Amino acid sequence: MTIQVFAVLKDYFDKEFEIAGDLKNIAALKQELAVQNPQAANVLDLCRFAVHDEFVDPDYPITTNDTICIIPPSSGG
Amino acid sequence: MIPSALSRPAVAADLPFLSAEPLDLVGLLAKSHHPEAGAVVLFSGEVRDNDPQTDVDYLEYEAQEAMASKLIRQILDDACEKFPLKIALAQHRVGKVGISESAVVVITASPHRAEAYSANRYIIDRIKHEAPIWKCEYFKNGTKEWGGNCNCQKITGDANKHVYEWTEDKK
Repeated sequence: MTIQVFAVLKDYFDKEFEIAGDLKNIAALKQELAVQNPQAANVLDLCRFAVHDEFVDPDYPITTNDTICIIPPSSGG
Repeated sequence: MIPSALSRPAVAADLPFLSAEPLDLVGLLAKSHHPEAGAVVLFSGEVRDNDPQTDVDYLEYEAQEAMASKLIRQILDDACEKFPLKIALAQHRVGKVGISESAVVVITASPHRAEAYSANRYIIDRIKHEAPIWKCEYFKNGTKEWGGNCNCQKITGDANKHVYEWTEDKK
């Protein structure tokens, strides 16, 4: 699956990258990313996840063809 | 006859909600007059150099553009349902924005000023808390800092629940 990250997350991950493995849902993906990059764990905890430009819950099932956006807390304006 | 629900999109429909170009405050205001609106409020959120120690050079705004645009539209639609608005529009910058430039503009027009002010605060408040838009401060010493995050989650325990400046009793 393809992961896109934004803002402060780009300090921890490439802006867009592929991740392989048997990740059944968003919660599993989040855990895997925190294992890969423990320094990002606290930031990831504050983020929301979106699939097809819609926010999804931690139990949302993901597939290898999905593009998942990781959305940190807003700081616009 | 144009249905009243279309009176806002008549202004906003052709206006992108995000802009990589400087916001044309005067041009947008010029489009925001309506024969039934006795009050027009324009809010411009501008880049300030709030830390003389570190010296902000400029800001850079990034957005998840599809989601941010959709959400700003939704916020404007919600505002039009909540308040008797004749015009509601909002536009946010992306990319590099210099000190004193406008990063976000919200214009509301209504028959009377109370609603125009309230609706304007409602819209900017929700954009700041909810829209997937982020700012990064670039300092003159070459460092940068992602800043000013919405921290409501620490208070509400839910990433989707925010503590707004605007409240119903200020309506």
